[in-house]
Amino acid sequence: MTNDVSEARAALLDVERRQRRVIDEIDVPPWYWWLLAGGWVVLGVLAELAPAAASIAATLVFGAVHAAIAPRVLSGQHRSRRLSVRRDLVDRRLPLYVFTGMIALVAVTLGVALVLDADGAGHPSIIAAAFVAVIIVIGGPRLTAAVRRRSMGGS
Amino acid sequence: MTPRFDELIHPATRLSVVAILAAVDWADFAFVRDELGLSDSALSKQLAILENAGYVTLERPVTDRRRRVRAALTPAGRAAFEGHVAALDEIVNRATAAT
Repeated sequence: MTNDVSEARAALLDVERRQRRVIDEIDVPPWYWWLLAGGWVVLGVLAELAPAAASIAATLVFGAVHAAIAPRVLSGQHRSRRLSVRRDLVDRRLPLYVFTGMIALVAVTLGVALVLDADGAGHPSIIAAAFVAVIIVIGGPRLTAAVRRRSMGGS
Repeated sequence: MTPRFDELIHPATRLSVVAILAAVDWADFAFVRDELGLSDSALSKQLAILENAGYVTLERPVTDRRRRVRAALTPAGRAAFEGHVAALDEIVNRATAAT
């Protein structure tokens, strides 16, 4: 009986591990978070140092590029050449979470920049953008991992 | 899902193959092979057993001028896997409740 139970437990762990690896195969790639963070810093630098028109143009370009890339990267429906993950294992709300998070991060960037500016710090926009970029690089993968864990639990 | 211990699926390698296929619509032969660290012949043997049982289908689409093999679970295979996992859960839960 003890052998049966430990064997069953080991088998269940193996099943979970194998399925998690499959989900990893279509996970949001790290370069996406680095690209997003890099873009954030560039916009912060431009807001500080470039003319307003250049800053606005760069923001529009950044938004357009992100809009082109994000659906494919975040939807989970982009197919690895090696497999096609079942739809019910992919949380289709991830793009919504990321979009909502980006709005929140815009607010955080503005808030931090305003506080730094009021405090008399030099280059408040750059510092605020760098602060948020760190949040993106660290928090992005954690967000997708949490969403993935929830999807696996519900499957 | 009704628990149903499936002797055909239970061997460790076969259970791993089916666990991977249960999470996908299809997977490349090479992906499953690499994930499990098996040789081509070892995986072919396992897939043939599962295919003969009606648990797996193998497709051979031609892409990039290369012949690739894709494996997928059949509805019967998926039901057998889910029943087997439910049976394993039941074994663990019964033991936990008894202690």
